[in-house]
Amino acid sequence: MDFTITEDQATLTQGVRDYLAGVHTPEVLRALDASDSRRSPDVWQGLVEMGLPGLLVPEAEGGLGLSLLDAVLIAAEFGRAGVAEPLAETALVAAPLLAKAGGQEALLTAIAAGEAKVALQHPVNPWVADLDAASHILSVKDGALLLAERSGGAELIDSVDPLRRLYAPVAAAGTAVGSADALLDHAALIAAAQLVGVADAMLEQATDYTKNRSQFGQPIGSFQAVKHHLATAVVKIEFAKPVIQRAAIALQENAASAPVHISHAKLAAADAAWAMSETAIQTHGAMGYTYEVDLHFWMKRAWALAGAWGDRAFHLARIDAAVIGGALPIGPGHSFA
Amino acid sequence: MDLAYTPEQQDFRAEVRAWMETNVPKEPLVTLEREDGYHQHVEWERKLASGNWGMVTWPEAYGGRGLDLIQWLIFEEEYYRAGAPLRVNQNGIFLLGPTVMEFGTDEQKARFLTPMAKGEVIWAQAWSEPNAGSDMAAITSKAIRDGDHYVISGQKTWSSRASFADWGFGLFRTDPESKRHKGLSFILFDLNAPGVTRRPIRQLHGDPGFAELFFDEVRVPVANRIAGEGEGWNVAMATAGFERGLMLRSPARFQAAAERLVRLFRQHEAKAAPAVREQVMQAWMDAQAYAYNTYAVASKIMAGGHIGAEASLNKIFWSELDRAAHRTAMQILGASAELRRLDGGTLNMWLEGYIFSLSGPIYAGSNEIQRNIIAERLLGLPR
Repeated sequence: MDFTITEDQATLTQGVRDYLAGVHTPEVLRALDASDSRRSPDVWQGLVEMGLPGLLVPEAEGGLGLSLLDAVLIAAEFGRAGVAEPLAETALVAAPLLAKAGGQEALLTAIAAGEAKVALQHPVNPWVADLDAASHILSVKDGALLLAERSGGAELIDSVDPLRRLYAPVAAAGTAVGSADALLDHAALIAAAQLVGVADAMLEQATDYTKNRSQFGQPIGSFQAVKHHLATAVVKIEFAKPVIQRAAIALQENAASAPVHISHAKLAAADAAWAMSETAIQTHGAMGYTYEVDLHFWMKRAWALAGAWGDRAFHLARIDAAVIGGALPIGPGHSFA
Repeated sequence: MDLAYTPEQQDFRAEVRAWMETNVPKEPLVTLEREDGYHQHVEWERKLASGNWGMVTWPEAYGGRGLDLIQWLIFEEEYYRAGAPLRVNQNGIFLLGPTVMEFGTDEQKARFLTPMAKGEVIWAQAWSEPNAGSDMAAITSKAIRDGDHYVISGQKTWSSRASFADWGFGLFRTDPESKRHKGLSFILFDLNAPGVTRRPIRQLHGDPGFAELFFDEVRVPVANRIAGEGEGWNVAMATAGFERGLMLRSPARFQAAAERLVRLFRQHEAKAAPAVREQVMQAWMDAQAYAYNTYAVASKIMAGGHIGAEASLNKIFWSELDRAAHRTAMQILGASAELRRLDGGTLNMWLEGYIFSLSGPIYAGSNEIQRNIIAERLLGLPR
């Protein structure tokens, strides 16, 4: 029993954070927002050069062969940086699923090289993110997960998140590579992990703002009302993190209870990020209500990810069946059931 | 990260479980906030000590088993799983004990820790004063040096367990000219010493769970001071860290409450409001999240780390989840929630628990103080 991340994991996570803080700045987000496609080959190439698409691709296919626990730590950094490119879906969801399925060495090699992008289509989501940019698509039919090359046009649907590119779903087709549930669980876990990173970014912005904005002759961050708003948000964020890590381990080990823990993680992360978004805009005051302050990118990402890959009702229903329904042993001694 | 228990940890769990199954009282004890219940709980402490379960993490030399924090968590899980009584000596074993372990001399460790682990001496805390609550640095009770004794005068209040306990610990101003955090010393005293008067205070539930203490020239040996003269504030902050951080409220307590809440909900499911269903799930989720976080903190400490201002996050989380879980139970009980006794004459433990849960966000540093600490020390906001 050891509930710590290793020094290697901490170093890698910090490395990704530092890299993204340098190259994937709010200026980049604003430039993407001003472009038609909201995507940039240069930004994607930067992520590829850092080796990010191959993190979970097996070493034999040119990746780093990292674990799902690594994946949630990295996903949080994608959330913190507000990464808009379809990186989390391809690198942190599709790659481990394809590696597990076997027989997908060529595609995995292409993913690690940044040459393939995989869109994820699942009935739990009405829309598909970044379908137009994808070379491949994972879709669902009769509970099976199908892999195909993407073809045909895509109908864009407008999201409040200016950097999110949503498309109407297409007909499911392709080779069976696993189960629909596996896609849902992996993607929900990664969405949860991104959400805590999104929340952390908003916390940092709000904290900086309250340190620098003065009213009544002092920084507003010295006022207890402001401090307490932020402290309440921190509690929610920090207590979501171990839930996500615990869920990642459960999924990594194929525990029968993994779906419950993933739902718990998604709910905790979405609640924390949503609450943080409201705290962040409140502490920014009228500045927070503008398009000029960067905060809005993260607020909107939080709203979007909270509903994606199983909304509140979906994940509560899974908790309900397990906890109130009695399928999951609960109580003291069942911390890791 | 490895979230599996080792075979040794599983064996340890089985050992605790077997002992608890044989020894935990079949009937619940009277509340420890009443004199009869207090003595029942002291008996239980001594029974625990007879099985060498007084404080498993302490060295064997002081009545412990020398176990690590993961084993402590396992012990706590089995303790609450068995429905064992509350720890009447919690101020001693969870707060003062770790403080003496860290700051005490060998003589003090031998003198105070072993009787504590054995349940022979039950401890009360004496932090607050009438004008020093959240603002603890406003303490005015004095301990004036007179040879190898201090002479203590002043008043403490909200002193948990002090109505019936044997000894107390608290901060006293050893430099009468000093202000605020300076000139305070951490001193242990015999509650039965001449000059100590206890005035039990009835708590919200009606029983005298804490007391006011009046000190009228009480002579206390200098050897009862923990750490240096004038160093009391730092010692107290460390004690408060133990209190808020890891030991005082183990996750098993809340997991047990969440499990009972789920069972209560199932019994009343047909008439429960829809929102209550979600609150029940939230109670389970929060108790689990608290457990994961505690395992993470324990693992971090075992790897050589320490817990600092993060302790304030814990204190807010457990106290607010506890209040929410018990409030939910009260809502499920509906018109029966107000009854002191439920069907069959058993005490309405949800009501008792709800009342107690209201103290959680207040004691051990109010949650407002914790939020200040988080904002100032974790986020770096200006004072």
